[in-house]
Amino acid sequence: MVGPLQSEVVLLPERIASLLGLGGTLGEVVGALIGAFIVANIMLACSGVAGPWAKRKITAAFTDRIAVNRIGPFGLLIIVAASVQLLAKELIIPDGADRPSYDLAPLILPSSALLGFSVIPMGSGIHLADPEAGLALVFAFASIASVSLVMGGYASNNKYSLMGGLRAVAQNIAYEIPLIVTAMSVVVFAGSLQMSTIVAEQASTLVSVAGVSIPAWYAFVNPFAFVLFLVANMAEIGRNPFDIPEAPTEIVAGYQTEYSSVYFVLFYLGEFLHVFLGGAIMATIFLGGPAGPVLPGFVWFIIKIWAFFLFTQWCRSALPRVRIDQLIEIGWKGMLVLSFANLVLTAIIVGVIA
Amino acid sequence: MSVELPDTTGVAEQSPEELADLLGDLVIGREEHRNAPGFVIKPDTVVETLRRLRDDAGFDHLSCVTAQEYEDRYESIYHLTKFDDRTQEVSIVVPADKENPVSQSANEVFRTADWHEREAYDLVGIEYDEHPDHRRILLPETWQGHPLGLDYDQDQPQVVPLREHANPLLEDQQSQEESETMYLNIGPHHPATHGVLHIKAVLDGEQVVDLEPDIGYLHRCEEQMCQNSTYRYQIMPYPDRWDYISAGLLNEWAYARVAEDMADIEVPEYAQIIRTMGAELCRMAAHFLALGTFALDIYGDFTALFMYSIRDREKVQNILEDLTGQRLMFNYFRLGGVVWDLPEPREEFFDNIRDFLDELPTALEEYHDMMTSNEILQMRTVGTGVLPPEVAKSYGATGPVARGSGVDYDLRRDDPYGYYENLDWDVVTEDGCDNYSRLLVRMREVEQSAKIVEQCVDLLEAWPEDERNIQANVPRTIKPDDDTEIYRAVEGAKGELGIYMRADGTEKPARFKIRSPCFSNLQTLPEMSNGEYVPDAIASLGSLDIVLGEVDR
Repeated sequence: MVGPLQSEVVLLPERIASLLGLGGTLGEVVGALIGAFIVANIMLACSGVAGPWAKRKITAAFTDRIAVNRIGPFGLLIIVAASVQLLAKELIIPDGADRPSYDLAPLILPSSALLGFSVIPMGSGIHLADPEAGLALVFAFASIASVSLVMGGYASNNKYSLMGGLRAVAQNIAYEIPLIVTAMSVVVFAGSLQMSTIVAEQASTLVSVAGVSIPAWYAFVNPFAFVLFLVANMAEIGRNPFDIPEAPTEIVAGYQTEYSSVYFVLFYLGEFLHVFLGGAIMATIFLGGPAGPVLPGFVWFIIKIWAFFLFTQWCRSALPRVRIDQLIEIGWKGMLVLSFANLVLTAIIVGVIA
Repeated sequence: MSVELPDTTGVAEQSPEELADLLGDLVIGREEHRNAPGFVIKPDTVVETLRRLRDDAGFDHLSCVTAQEYEDRYESIYHLTKFDDRTQEVSIVVPADKENPVSQSANEVFRTADWHEREAYDLVGIEYDEHPDHRRILLPETWQGHPLGLDYDQDQPQVVPLREHANPLLEDQQSQEESETMYLNIGPHHPATHGVLHIKAVLDGEQVVDLEPDIGYLHRCEEQMCQNSTYRYQIMPYPDRWDYISAGLLNEWAYARVAEDMADIEVPEYAQIIRTMGAELCRMAAHFLALGTFALDIYGDFTALFMYSIRDREKVQNILEDLTGQRLMFNYFRLGGVVWDLPEPREEFFDNIRDFLDELPTALEEYHDMMTSNEILQMRTVGTGVLPPEVAKSYGATGPVARGSGVDYDLRRDDPYGYYENLDWDVVTEDGCDNYSRLLVRMREVEQSAKIVEQCVDLLEAWPEDERNIQANVPRTIKPDDDTEIYRAVEGAKGELGIYMRADGTEKPARFKIRSPCFSNLQTLPEMSNGEYVPDAIASLGSLDIVLGEVDR
């Protein structure tokens, strides 16, 4: 259909449409629906494995334990058992809950993360949409999460939830700016907000060492920005040492204190999806997207987002949580300044070289 | 080779006569308690008396307040001692009228009297004049009668009108007017309270404006149960249930010491060494758990540190299980010694302990790598939850909490018992007064305990086989003379664990009062937390290392 031009990538809906032999609007709609179904299920499957099984196994490995090993090979069937158990629980809605928003909050969190995946190139042709402002769009989707946290926190009619919601807002505002400003330094390199372009730009060779060419992934080109982004990302998705909106032992479970059963599952799912979305953004703009040797692109993409997930679990096992005022201070006084310095320096260097 | 004794040369020592002179007209009678001269004073001169003793004679530690009812009167006893010289003690006996038991509150001189007097009011029924917060403390507000009073009817139904049972939190839920602060109930069930503790917190945003611990959820009438049990056999299992976090032997020792002193029982040296070893193993286990739960409060999850400390505690528990046959409620001490000798084969038992002690430095190194040298942890704990030494003393804080505030006070050295004075070890203090110091004190105390255990193992191994005397010859029933009164304490895992007993000529104590270190330590929480952030208040609570079983008894 379309020639293998670098700037024009065959997207998943188009490919499905052409496979089905459908054209025009019908093809677009059907292709988009099926594509979205596939992408959403890939990510939901990842979260499903991560939540009830991988997280426990990883943490157990860090803390000298065995964790789930009773049902199925390696305890894998705990995923099924846990789903049945969680869904079978009573859904308790507290007195005085602000009903529409109490019910909507757990829906918004996972769907905002799933929306974000629509512009992520996952390799092997799995890429739903590639708008010109792709990077801006993914950040916009990701930050809808804080709306959900505030809604849940406020609507629960619980003081712990309220504190969790407030903390979530404070944290997201403080870290979203450094996050996006740092991402902008990548845009300065790539010269585009389009995801496919950013990925394509990283495919060139940075240096060749003994015949092995190291690609120009922006993590190698600008490691400082990579670290900054990593830290801001941890805060953005609320993982240790920045898991302040939940902070068990302080405010019980923060915004999700009052949620049970299906709503709890949705919140939990949403959190894992956001961790993976965070990983996907990092992989795309710093780690060459789905690029990698030997294995197909999609496998590399999965490896990269799981590596990020592993990293969050490592931090969870090893790092103390910072205090809310310290978090805000790190955000506004440290990260913000560093990220702007990074952006300005990058712009100058790119300007001088180019 | 022995522990370095504190320099008490600067501390004036007063004879009972000098104290009587100091108090002058305030004294209306004299009593003789086992370790301390007792002065009887009028109920309206408590503040004056205690202030003179504190300011002019240096009795700066109100260790315990005991209340009891006689046939003809009520009585409050203030057990005073000195942080600088624990062996000096004095009891101030304050009789109160049988019909209208009112006594002046000592709260003005010693802040610790606040809770102790509330407990006395709650359980015995003495009212304290000028008390800032005269309420029940352990029992519910609606409780009828005072359970340790003589005329208390145990069968009396605790049925009260519905209005008394109205949800006590109801009014707090409603914010009456436009208020800048938020009232928050932390607990009774909350991940950070380590048991059933209820904290009433008033927050201004994320900062604590006021904080009030509400205790009593785990009150099991331990004092009364002991009063209904015989000295010889029946009381000993109860102490295991006070501080149940592996500190069982330390608690048992508190009872063993007070009962042995009362009945003049000499414990054989061999048994003393076994006791010392067992007690220090318990202290290590208790401190490991304190470390783990403190990490839990700071890290916020069941992290590596929690699991590592549980792992090391497990090793100690295995040794204790070999020794006592139990993992939690040891019941290993007996009056006059211990229940049985070390397990056979002895060599294997000693090897197990030595293996554990050999691995300990590596384990502690790991803790220091992961915890105390972690910058985020330092950021969180250094300079937070500050408890100045003077405040700590006024609240009667003891144990690692006091030593973390630079108060050099440890009963093992200052009021020697067991085999401690013959061993080579040090009292650990830190001057930081903050959460970090309390953490460091516990970690360093584990090292010192290991040192003590090591020496005990060497001594026990070399002990001649035919001189292994594990129990003194103790009569089958113990009936101390009528009106023998004694207050003695030992260094528990959390601090000074004291017991007051009064004999009435029978084989059961007439009054059995437990001075719990956690009870006094918990009282300092508002001082540490007010003005701090919520997470720091939680961390301070963790650093106090309270066990609700001991707070509520």
